[in-house]
Amino acid sequence: MRKVWRVAWTEYQNSVRSKAFIIGVLALPLMIGVSIGLQVIAKRQTDVSDRRFVVLDRTGVLYKRIEARAKERNSIFKQSGTNSAPRPDFIPEKFAETDGVKAEMILSERVRKKEVSAFLIIGKDALMPQNGPDASLAYHTQAQTFNELPDWLSQVVNEEVHRMRYERAGIDPALLQKLGQPVPVRRLGLAKMDTSGNVVEAREESRLTAMLIPMGSMFLLYMLIMSAAPALLNTVLEEKMQKISEVLIASVAPFELMLGKLLGCVMVSMTLGLLYLGSSIYMLSRHGMLDKVPAEFFAWFILFQILGLLMYGSVFSAIGAACSELKDAQNLMMPVMIMIMIPFFVWLPIAESPQSPFARWISLFPPATPMLMMMRIAIAPGPPAWEIALGLALTLAFTLGCVWAGGKIFRIGILSQGQSPTIGRLARWVFSK
Amino acid sequence: MISTEQNGVALRLSGVTKIYGSHTAVNDLSLEVPSGSIYGFIGPNGSGKTTTLRMILRIVLPDRGTVEVLGVRDTRSANDSIGYLPEERGLYRKMTVSRVLAYHAALKGMESRSARESVAFWLHRMGLEKWADHKVEALSKGMAQKIQFIAAVVAKPKLLILDEPFSGLDPVNLDVLREAILEMGRNGATILFSTHDMEMAEKMCDFIFMIHKGCKVLDGTLSTIQSQHGADLVRLKIEGGAAALQGLEGIQIVRDHGQLQELRCSTDPQELLRRLSARGKVQLFEVAKPSLHDIFVNIAAPDKGGNDA
Repeated sequence: MRKVWRVAWTEYQNSVRSKAFIIGVLALPLMIGVSIGLQVIAKRQTDVSDRRFVVLDRTGVLYKRIEARAKERNSIFKQSGTNSAPRPDFIPEKFAETDGVKAEMILSERVRKKEVSAFLIIGKDALMPQNGPDASLAYHTQAQTFNELPDWLSQVVNEEVHRMRYERAGIDPALLQKLGQPVPVRRLGLAKMDTSGNVVEAREESRLTAMLIPMGSMFLLYMLIMSAAPALLNTVLEEKMQKISEVLIASVAPFELMLGKLLGCVMVSMTLGLLYLGSSIYMLSRHGMLDKVPAEFFAWFILFQILGLLMYGSVFSAIGAACSELKDAQNLMMPVMIMIMIPFFVWLPIAESPQSPFARWISLFPPATPMLMMMRIAIAPGPPAWEIALGLALTLAFTLGCVWAGGKIFRIGILSQGQSPTIGRLARWVFSK
Repeated sequence: MISTEQNGVALRLSGVTKIYGSHTAVNDLSLEVPSGSIYGFIGPNGSGKTTTLRMILRIVLPDRGTVEVLGVRDTRSANDSIGYLPEERGLYRKMTVSRVLAYHAALKGMESRSARESVAFWLHRMGLEKWADHKVEALSKGMAQKIQFIAAVVAKPKLLILDEPFSGLDPVNLDVLREAILEMGRNGATILFSTHDMEMAEKMCDFIFMIHKGCKVLDGTLSTIQSQHGADLVRLKIEGGAAALQGLEGIQIVRDHGQLQELRCSTDPQELLRRLSARGKVQLFEVAKPSLHDIFVNIAAPDKGGNDA
């Protein structure tokens, strides 16, 4: 065990002293910072040139209202100053119809020539209650990806149509608006009883917060595993390519060597975890969200982190030992990466329905358990205890299996040269004496 | 714990066989290496030398037979007392020299204080003390080879296994390394080293062992081997050169140097001399012991079915 520890400590020191580790520590905050920064910059780079559009109003009464609403909108955005991102002005133009088909052609040609960006044809029956046969709003443009103008037109025209319908029906639109005020929905947790027997009222819950913690914990766990486990492949492969392995296994049994490397990998990841988890606790506490994290969350997080590292670490070190070239290692990594990515393919439906049968069974699939069970634990009230226990037992068994098989492959692979490993050959190594 | 070597034998292989697929790398090999001896391990490429060394270290396990190292049979527990320098060797390029050596010492179970002292001693001994805090990647090839040797001996091994320790060394570094090996031997370590340099093996080794196609073909002191494999070598200078030897029965020309011929005779050398004298003036006639090189070539030459590498 002393040698295992010595290998682990040397691996740990080699990792944390490297530039790659420092870059790794800074990678997450840097990526978040760059991503936010780019979004801010991108927002400011929005094309704010005027959007001119033509309205062919076959009702004959809506155009003026659209024009007035456009002016109102443009002046609001101008007044809002620098607090919001600048938006383009919407400038309507009225089109006097002479011939239906010909009007569409004329207006299409104007869009093609870039004189206007779009045109809207309002059907003549738009104001009829329950819509008449020609009650559509036809929006024509080449720029199908710009949604702000059609969305605004749809909202404004419909509001004005409703208003006019109410007026024609003799209903006061102002009164109707008052009566039609929606009843606000509050998102609350559950009431509970304190130790003195008093009822503690349920507190407001934000959907964003409710999603942020499980999602964040899954991504953080993934990052902590992936920042350390694949590095094992590189170090083992490097030792093999640089002919260091043979001297090492003359001093340490191959399994001890692999175990030492795994332990070193766990220590590196835990150091990173300490930094990130510490920062996350600080941020949650600063924003008053720390009490939304279940108390046992952090213990589970660390446990699943260790299991995930041992599971994937042993697989990666076995691949490193089995290969003699990086290219071979990359080929073998593909199926492992697909396994690791499973939680990312399924996390959204699980976050929305964490107690569904699908969520239950997929989170019991050992390669996905650390991340998915972690996410389910982070969503109150969490999965039943038996599911966590079963997930833990299956993952532990699977991890031990991975370490055992990885050790067998490592022992034979570390001295093999020249042969490109195949899944079949690795399987034979696992079951060889 | 390692017991003292039984009966003064540091290493004993008994009927050791290793088979890879359909290829028998080592076949029924038996060997005894006395404690404190320097044992030369020779053989053509692919003859099974490295496999045998790996079996001694239990890096690979024999399919049959037993391996007893320093009195311990069939376990790795003696490995902490074995220093090993493999043929293909490398070091962690990003680590400093002193850290690499301390790591190797620690993996042999050495206490950190003793390891530090031993590292300092060997770096000084090899003239590399100034490089202790440099990264390995900054070293020249010769310096790196000396560091690799130190890594093998830093933990004060009782048995030192060196696979081609002199390959690629310049003459100066070769002398330094040879002297260090001999010093280890003088201090009581048992040394087993493989080499392709027959002259070096002749000069350094107490015993020589040759493996060919996985089987032992030579084992003993140089003089024993020479007496067993070629006391019949004759060096001669005769008027007329090789032409004067034409038609002589019971001889085989081993090498024709022009003015000097080396031949092997199956008859009595005195009878050969008498017959040669009848053919011309004999200027030199010497019944010589064959060199290890000659014995090696005689066994392993391709026309004898040797050297399949």
